[in-house]
Amino acid sequence: MTGAHQAIGKSIERVGAREKVTGRARYSADIELGAPLVLKALRSGRPHAEILAINTEKALRIKGVAAVFTAMDIPGKNLTGIILKDQPILMGDKVRSIADPVALVAAETETTAEQALKAIEVDYRDLPPVFDPEKAMAEDAPKVHAKGNVMVSRTIRRGDVGSAFTRCKSIIEKTYRTTFIEHNTIEPDAGAGFVDSDGTLVIYASTQNPHYDHKDVVTLLGLADEKVRIIQAATGGGFGSKLDLNVQGFIGLALYHLRRPVRYVYTREEAYLGTAKRHPLSMRMKTGADENGRLLAMQATIICDTGAYASYGPAVANRAPVHATGPYAIENVDIRSYGVYTNNPFCGAMRGFGTPQIAFAHESQIDLHALDLGLDPLAMRMLNAHRVGSTTATGQVFSASVGIGDCLRAIQPHYDEARKGWTAAPAAPYKKRGVGIGAMWYGIGNTGVQNPSTARVEMDRDGSVTLFTGCADIGQGSSTVLSQIAAEILGLAPQAVRLVTADTKFTTNAGATSASRQTYISGNAVKQAAEQLADVLKTEAMNKLRVAKSALMFDGGCALVIGQPDQCVSFAELAKRIKSKGASLSWQGYFDPETVPLDPQTGQGVPYATYAFAAQLALVTVDVLTGEVAVERVVAAHDVGKAIHPESVIGQICGGVAMGLGFALMEEFEPGKTLSMKDYHIPTCADMPEVVPIIVESPEPSGPFGAKGVGEPALIPTAPAILNAIADALGVRLYALPANLERVLAASIAAGHFKPAP
Amino acid sequence: MSRLHYIRPETLAEALDHLDRHGSRNRILAGGTDLVVDLRNGDARPEFILDVSRLHELKGIDVTPEGVSVGAGVTLSEIQSSDVLERHAPALRKCSFTFASRQVRNVATIGGNVAHCSPCGDTVPPLVIHEARAVLASRRGLREVLVEDIASGPYACSLPPDELILRFILKPAADVTFADFQKIGRRRELVIARINAAAMARQEPDGRLSFFRFSLGSCTPTPHRMPEVESCLDGRVPTAELVWEAGRLLAERTIAITGRRPSTIYKEAAIHGLLVRMLHPLVTS
Ligand SMILES: Cc1cc2nc3c(=O)[nH]c(=O)nc-3n(C[C@H](O)[C@H](O)[C@H](O)COP(=O)(O)OP(=O)(O)OC[C@H]3O[C@@H](n4cnc5c(N)ncnc54)[C@H](O)[C@@H]3O)c2cc1C
Repeated sequence: MTGAHQAIGKSIERVGAREKVTGRARYSADIELGAPLVLKALRSGRPHAEILAINTEKALRIKGVAAVFTAMDIPGKNLTGIILKDQPILMGDKVRSIADPVALVAAETETTAEQALKAIEVDYRDLPPVFDPEKAMAEDAPKVHAKGNVMVSRTIRRGDVGSAFTRCKSIIEKTYRTTFIEHNTIEPDAGAGFVDSDGTLVIYASTQNPHYDHKDVVTLLGLADEKVRIIQAATGGGFGSKLDLNVQGFIGLALYHLRRPVRYVYTREEAYLGTAKRHPLSMRMKTGADENGRLLAMQATIICDTGAYASYGPAVANRAPVHATGPYAIENVDIRSYGVYTNNPFCGAMRGFGTPQIAFAHESQIDLHALDLGLDPLAMRMLNAHRVGSTTATGQVFSASVGIGDCLRAIQPHYDEARKGWTAAPAAPYKKRGVGIGAMWYGIGNTGVQNPSTARVEMDRDGSVTLFTGCADIGQGSSTVLSQIAAEILGLAPQAVRLVTADTKFTTNAGATSASRQTYISGNAVKQAAEQLADVLKTEAMNKLRVAKSALMFDGGCALVIGQPDQCVSFAELAKRIKSKGASLSWQGYFDPETVPLDPQTGQGVPYATYAFAAQLALVTVDVLTGEVAVERVVAAHDVGKAIHPESVIGQICGGVAMGLGFALMEEFEPGKTLSMKDYHIPTCADMPEVVPIIVESPEPSGPFGAKGVGEPALIPTAPAILNAIADALGVRLYALPANLERVLAASIAAGHFKPAP
Repeated sequence: MSRLHYIRPETLAEALDHLDRHGSRNRILAGGTDLVVDLRNGDARPEFILDVSRLHELKGIDVTPEGVSVGAGVTLSEIQSSDVLERHAPALRKCSFTFASRQVRNVATIGGNVAHCSPCGDTVPPLVIHEARAVLASRRGLREVLVEDIASGPYACSLPPDELILRFILKPAADVTFADFQKIGRRRELVIARINAAAMARQEPDGRLSFFRFSLGSCTPTPHRMPEVESCLDGRVPTAELVWEAGRLLAERTIAITGRRPSTIYKEAAIHGLLVRMLHPLVTS
């Protein structure tokens, strides 16, 4: 392969961009169905209670109410969840959080549905609730689930921390805390469905994982696979919250019984109440470094509050400890992590699966060591950063694509300039300036478990190519990137590749759009399928043109002899020839990254085949009299392996910085109190700093054209960088997120800055 | 459920007739940025909605012999682009820059902001420092009240339901050398103030303040002037120490009104800090 690509690395027009900007894209709420019934769920409103009786008679008597369903109406298995099946879609015996649905109404109009909800009578017997995960871990705590409140635990042990700490000059031990966070996708959850003429339940949904939805819906309804079809409608963002079964199960249940079109569109309030949150983590971390700043040991205890149900909680409780060291080589580790049930709203996936939280801890620790030892924080990171040949806490040895050093070097000039030109210059009265660095690593795909993707590339008799992928493009641009990959292999313009995506009737499983995995994993599956097709095309062209395969190339829908472009044969002709011989023009690709499961006792193994790396620099101004923080500039260097679509990478970085800024400064979800965007603040464009994105490409040999991922990494270093910058400005550090007005002003007062200007 | 009647009169007389007959079952709609929210969440359940957005009597920003007149139907975007206000009521103009977002500012009106009686209304402290009066119309005739007196408590409007605010009259600030509005929120835009404040002063060449007005918002049930703070600074040279003392006094007076609550831990220091920061440009050593 030559270095020059014709489709890869080009910021071509994004698939679906035109439809979105002209308003033609059809989101779930826009799907037109004949007189659909409106669905609405009755949610418990109480954190922990036994259900004694549900009386739906009054609701059913209301004109326009078609049905009211309860757990008794579920024909199959009333338990969902991608990792652990512990979440009924309608509660039968008890409720475990205020959001738990107990009944589902189908009515002619929204208003009638609302009325019906009010007319349903539920008898509860309240049970003592538990909201604090540490309390929930006690023997005598109220049990959220019969099997006990510790959902999962994970230990990662390597070396000998005890003796390593005795060799440390600097030892820092601190506890860090984060809060519940809401995803705030621009499109609240929604779905619609109808029963097809052959009896299939067809469900359109705003989803990140149509094939998982399919599996859980057929199980829920006890139907054969082909009786349910999930189609991903245009989706306005996910960030992890649309990995769970939100409306899909309700729609399936109503279709099953009523055989009439139905729709369910969450209000913003229902999306706030009823969908997953980011896990709050408490992280006790003790680290030690020698006099040169080399990190020698880490001991950590991580507690993840998963709320009432597992959702992606096990993934968070596993990923957080694996990433606890940050992108640094630490020989001796003893890390324990617990995922704990409480009666809080359930927590699930959210951009980073625990890594944004743990990065706040490890990046604060490293700055504390640097301060303690009188070292430069950037130099200390450089000293400890992973490199090819270094060993991770799980015993994985890096063989390639470790871009953390490159990322740190990329921000170095900006850092030096900020230290000299910016922090050193006098600030306005009552303002303090600070500079902070955040670094991260992020394993692509699921943690030490199978994580495959599939794809199919087909050629028609006319030589046109169609890519079938189960991958849900939720706005991040996977459809574009996957068509670029297929196009590159087949020498076509990406726009010439027809796409069929995320429809369980026509596509095979590509796994979830999560864990920053689609470019790497589905990209490889697409590449493999396209390469198989390319190979039969070349074989056929070889027969026709009578030259060696290696002398052939593809261009513009033809196979031609390199250097003799007049010697060519069109794909259409090749397709006809191949078909007539009875050979296949439809090729299935499969890719599953090579991992080794983590040992249950020691956590040793190879959790991921490859990692993304990043370093960000934040410049902040803190108002010492009011606690206001202005983030002035963020320089963000990200090792993505290879940027298949550079503008999309930049888009992810800028969006990630925005989300990271919200996590750092203002976002906070209080169960039962935070009802909608009116009491939850995400950054506006006025809060955004200047973002300087830097794409670093340390190619991954197993990645498609060297690519890894960037979706989640984009946000991870931002909050640590901002928090380190605030600490730099004030000389006092915050150990809890968000660094809101109250906390920053308290820190300013504690630091002695709240006084008349000299 | 009873039906909601929407009425959009072309003349003021029609509007006042409607209010005279149905005032108690009616809500006035200007930009709708508060009312529509209240309708959706059930806080407002009127039978009639009277849309006053077409009434030209509620429009316009003019300098009149009585003072600067700002129509109740003037939008925040109009305030933002007004040269008259920049000259005669700069603190009022300044509040529009951080008010909601551009889309909201394009429809939200000053009359709606005042009549909604939120303790956090951003136009209120700037109006208060100008001792602004609202001109009210009803079938009974015209009358005037101080803006400061319109809210009887948080979200409680003291105006009778048959009255419509026509416009506000601001005392022109003669020879003012300093005017400012500041707001603290959880983000820069599209945010309800945690604290907002407006101030206006005339500083003599010797540094002395010969005129000083100050109003605090969002902290007390209704925004109003702070006489103790005004007299602490009026007629004196604002040294760093004096301004610091004024800030402390402001926090103390505010807590005297509200009592201590969980939010006081932040607000006590931040109110103090906000005044110090705001008046820093006046500090003379
Ligand atoms: C997203 C968002 C952001 C916001 N941000 C801010 C902010 O930053 N700062 C801020 O202060 N406010 C903010 N608000 C609140 C609101 O926008 C303002 O209070 C606005 O000025 C209300 O004006 P309106 O014309 O929309 O009022 P409407 O909603 O039309 O009316 C509000 C109230 O005033 C009454 N009313 C209106 N006109 C008259 C009149 N002429 N005479 C008598 N009564 C009248 C109505 O009956 C109603 O009770 C925000 C609102 C939203 C939705």
